[in-house]
Amino acid sequence: MTATNLLENWASVRHFHPIDDKPHDPYKWAMAIDLDACTGCNACAVACYAENNLPVVGREKFLHGQSMHWMRIERYWEEDGREFPDQGFQFLPMMCQQCEAAPCETVCPVGATNHTQDGLNSQIYNRCIGSRYCSANCPFKVRYFNWYDYPTTENVWPAEMNRQLNPDVTVRGKGVMEKCTFCVQRLRAAEVTAKGEGRIVREGEVQTACQQACPASAISFGNLVDPESRVHKQWLTQQVDLDKDKQDKDQKEGGSDLRGYRILEELRPYPSVMYLERVRESAV
Amino acid sequence: MIDSGSEKHLAGHPFDRRDFLKVLGWSGTAVALSGCGNTSIEDGKETVVSYVEAKDYVIPGVAVYFNSTCAQCDAGCSISGKVREGRVLKLEGNPDSAINKGKMCGVGQAGVQHHYNPDRVREPLLRNGDKGETITWEKAYALIAEKLAAVKGEEIAFLTGGVSGHQKVLLGNYLDSLGTKNHFVYEAVSPGVVRAANLKAYGVEMPRYRIDKAKVVLSFGADFLGAWVSPVHFSQQYAQFRRGVDGQRGVLIQAESKMTLTGANADRWLAVRPGTEGILALGIINALGTATGDVAELVKGYDKARVSRDTGVEPSNIDKIAALLKLRSPSLVLAGSAAEGYAHGSQNAAAINLLNQVLGNVGKTIEAPVSVPFPQMSPAKGNTAALKTLNDDLAAGKYKVLFNVATNPVFTAPASYKFRDNMARAGFKVAFAHYLDETALQADLVLPLDSAMEDWGTSVPEYLTEGAQINIQQPLMERLHPNTRGLGDIVLALIKQRRADEYKGFDDYYGYLRGAMLQNKGALGGGGSDDDNFWNDTLSRGIVKLAGPSASLNASMATAGLKLPAPVEIDEHYPFQLIPSVTSSLRDGRHTNQPWLQESPDPLTTIVWDSWVEMHPKKATEMGIVEGDIVEVTSKTGSVKAQVYLFPGIYPDAVSIPIGRGHDAMGRYAKGYGVNPFQIMDSVFESATGELAMHETRVNITKTGQRVIVVKDEGPAGGMQMGRKIAARVSTDQVDLSKEV
Amino acid sequence: MYRFLRLPILLVGLFMAVSCYAVNDSQPTLTTEDDLGPQVAQPIEFPHYRHAGNRNTVDPTNSDPTKGGMEINCQYCHTYARRSLTAGIPPLQKCIGCHQNIPSVRDKPRIVELFKYWDAKKAVPWKKVHDLPDFVRFTHERHIKRFIEQQGRPVQEVCGYCHGQVKEMVTARRQKPITMGWCVSCHMKEHVVAAKADIPEGGTPIGKQAYWYTFQKPAETKNAAGELTAKGPNDCWLCHK
Repeated sequence: MTATNLLENWASVRHFHPIDDKPHDPYKWAMAIDLDACTGCNACAVACYAENNLPVVGREKFLHGQSMHWMRIERYWEEDGREFPDQGFQFLPMMCQQCEAAPCETVCPVGATNHTQDGLNSQIYNRCIGSRYCSANCPFKVRYFNWYDYPTTENVWPAEMNRQLNPDVTVRGKGVMEKCTFCVQRLRAAEVTAKGEGRIVREGEVQTACQQACPASAISFGNLVDPESRVHKQWLTQQVDLDKDKQDKDQKEGGSDLRGYRILEELRPYPSVMYLERVRESAV
Repeated sequence: MIDSGSEKHLAGHPFDRRDFLKVLGWSGTAVALSGCGNTSIEDGKETVVSYVEAKDYVIPGVAVYFNSTCAQCDAGCSISGKVREGRVLKLEGNPDSAINKGKMCGVGQAGVQHHYNPDRVREPLLRNGDKGETITWEKAYALIAEKLAAVKGEEIAFLTGGVSGHQKVLLGNYLDSLGTKNHFVYEAVSPGVVRAANLKAYGVEMPRYRIDKAKVVLSFGADFLGAWVSPVHFSQQYAQFRRGVDGQRGVLIQAESKMTLTGANADRWLAVRPGTEGILALGIINALGTATGDVAELVKGYDKARVSRDTGVEPSNIDKIAALLKLRSPSLVLAGSAAEGYAHGSQNAAAINLLNQVLGNVGKTIEAPVSVPFPQMSPAKGNTAALKTLNDDLAAGKYKVLFNVATNPVFTAPASYKFRDNMARAGFKVAFAHYLDETALQADLVLPLDSAMEDWGTSVPEYLTEGAQINIQQPLMERLHPNTRGLGDIVLALIKQRRADEYKGFDDYYGYLRGAMLQNKGALGGGGSDDDNFWNDTLSRGIVKLAGPSASLNASMATAGLKLPAPVEIDEHYPFQLIPSVTSSLRDGRHTNQPWLQESPDPLTTIVWDSWVEMHPKKATEMGIVEGDIVEVTSKTGSVKAQVYLFPGIYPDAVSIPIGRGHDAMGRYAKGYGVNPFQIMDSVFESATGELAMHETRVNITKTGQRVIVVKDEGPAGGMQMGRKIAARVSTDQVDLSKEV
Repeated sequence: MYRFLRLPILLVGLFMAVSCYAVNDSQPTLTTEDDLGPQVAQPIEFPHYRHAGNRNTVDPTNSDPTKGGMEINCQYCHTYARRSLTAGIPPLQKCIGCHQNIPSVRDKPRIVELFKYWDAKKAVPWKKVHDLPDFVRFTHERHIKRFIEQQGRPVQEVCGYCHGQVKEMVTARRQKPITMGWCVSCHMKEHVVAAKADIPEGGTPIGKQAYWYTFQKPAETKNAAGELTAKGPNDCWLCHK
């Protein structure tokens, strides 16, 4: 296999990740975020802090780029030489894209981050040795490293504040990497309940914390292989294929009149999050 | 009649509430804290969670949800508190509420950090020189009785924020028993001017806005997605508005001098010269060309050239907006804080409301409000004029005893009020407080309040959406600190000092509340059920929905008295207009000590943990200022120093400093971070209502020569996409929304 | 300097590492007799053998406490196990519920102690015997559903997989290692798939749908008796999250 051949066919070599040749069945968790509904209000980010025991690092550490927001709102403004941002700013909720061919997984020296059968990119804290290769290799910059032992750091969880910690989520110690999990604790609880009842998780039965909070309902989340799910329908109507690095609709002459796209698709990580473009009125 | 001591019922399950809400087996969290990799897993080191008595549905490891009401702001969102092993872990929205429909904002989520805050006041404190001495509640009550006995009724004043529900009734009765009418309802950030203008234009203070029904929304600085009136509700309407009415996506146009979160989401954002919002509204009426009679007469002079010159808005934009408004109906025009914050704020708001009327929106996207059928419970709305009156009275030495219920005027009054000094003129000052904030520190007696997760209560939001509702607040867990008390309990104890006979039947505020609710069972929709069932049902729902009387709108197109001043000329000593901005996460600064909100980046600038001065890049370049320069912002009243952030979404002759930071007390997460723009705010008042005109301060900017790195979340690319398709945008003519699901 | 030495040193190191690994290729058996945990002192010496132990067939009246138990179902007291992650300890009222009607043992020291807690309305501070690290979330509920409810195996047998012969103990003592390797060793085994499970033809309702992937049903394995078998889940994120 020549280097060129390897590079050209890298996608087929490294993706279709589900273990033991089993495809995503019965679950493939995925998301769709409507940027035209998102207002950039940050409710999702705070909900994530509440659900996932994220430490508040404080001014000093934030300055050093050590903030731990698994869910962050990115703000963009394209100048184009204009005096004012007269079509507003661009907000983008950014969290782990749970890539199907995740660049972070292939570089972990200890297999602490790997793919689950329901299409998540898992991060196992007790396996992580803190090499931070995954973070270096993540094109979305959504992995966060515990540079400090936050549980014992002053004013992170002082007395009483620690009682808010979610018992379903591990409180991470120093030296491990962490990232958005699609609220795996909620997913697993729902999956186990469904399994006990001999069925699959129904649409709407499980929500991620960010989706649940979003005042504009811009985030939809669900099982991509369930034809009843909203996420399935959205991906289907937007003609975004999970296992393509160039969507057919974009190859057509004149482009597509559909809004669905995935960020940095051309790098072939096959993200599980589809965004819907923000729309701006052409009449004003 | 009332037996609050006996077994209480909830969600149809009788159980002893006290036992359930008790915090159990500390081991769970204590261990969770020791984190990963270094925990003891030695057998027999930890204690297992166990109950003495528990009902069948109480299962360790399984969360139970209790419905209550968010108390972080006055919007009245209903919440569902997740409770496990006696600890409240997370607040989620209650889907049954018409206000928030299961959704929550960041401020609401942070309610748990208010409850668990390490800086809460835990004991009643009595001033002894510079220190607070812990005293018992009995002693505190006795002291209040003693002080009150020595003064006349009219020498007592009460300062509160917006109150409603049974707290308002009880508080009213207490004031009555003291023989005082001096109740000042104060909110540092309130739509006071807009309320007055609405009353004139529509006959009601706050109609129901239907953003979801509008095809075009033209907002004059109303930050309805961020911090205006009922943001979570409006955000839901906004999502509906974007999805479209009859397949047509709604268009948002925002006109303001400093971009708000809502402005950042606009299809067209217009930088307006500060204070000229009314002129722009009249200019649009003129451009519409549909007005007749008085209105036509009024707008005659507002031709495009003049309006454009006055407001700084391009004539072509005025044309486009007028054309769009004509084409797509119904529309909705909103007047927000940017329009009302001037001495002529009422005039601005009146001009904007007039535009609504000309467009025929009243009755279509502006609907009549509903109210609860119990007027005594409907909210006492706070405004800033109340504080002005109180301050003047205090300065005149009218009051000997001042009660302050959890407001913080020492922080939110303009420095020119000298509120701290005037407050000292009241001989005895009692503060009901959650934190030792700037105002509580000036008090002689500090009474620690329960958090909203420990207290009983009812409330009626000012802005009701689909129907009338009374919100129920109930404890989600046992008191964290044994010596805090609920506001209701404190007022009940105090009123018993005056009217013992009348209130002796009530052991506590819970008993009072239950009794009062049961008394009106019929009117509250529980006519058929017995007391316990009704009460259980009410608590499990967390909301009482009512068919409230609906007011009627009277759309009177009154132009009399509507006269807008010409834009202010630039003052060479103070060339900039100061716009103190209200951010969606910090609002008036009462929640600054909640670290999630401090670390939640400001959506527009992405700055955390600090204040900043927003300047337009063009102006900054002229002055040789770059990002991070510390500048001194000087007004006639005073000066503050803060870092500069170059921000294109601001009128070049304006600068903006956010409200909420700059505390010098309150707690570890608030104290010492940022600056407080109230300290340099001039005392200028709105001419018709007497509200504080917050945008009327003019300032000068000077470089200090110092420079810092701005702590922000913007990332190394500085908010640029560098040609990548990251946050993509498409215009309506390139997309077919009708295919979407 | 000495740069030429780097490769040889690396190679020697690699060789040593590989040979060490090769020598150590036999894994020790995971459950041994030595896995007994310490005897944990409890506030009350609760006699499991007396409550859950087998009935004394010689003395059916069961009058001699040293001879036999009452065969009480584990789940009668550990009632949370089938509904929660945690099996939990029953509320004190459950103990009292029975014992207030058993005057014959009312004066025994342990029962006197028990009633002292009840009168003071204080929870008994039982000590944890089977403790897991905080990054592990084991679920009792799923295991009970799988083996007791779906497959109909005896309760004491199922609980005993992990907890050992508690019915023969006084206060419980750990008998199994409760380590990850030990958990996984069981998950790697082929377990008979629940006979009672009502799985529609072709898998789950969604299993029939081909999505972007070509749907392949996993190969079904059968044991010697011809029963369908499957392994336990092998997903790190099931327990560590």
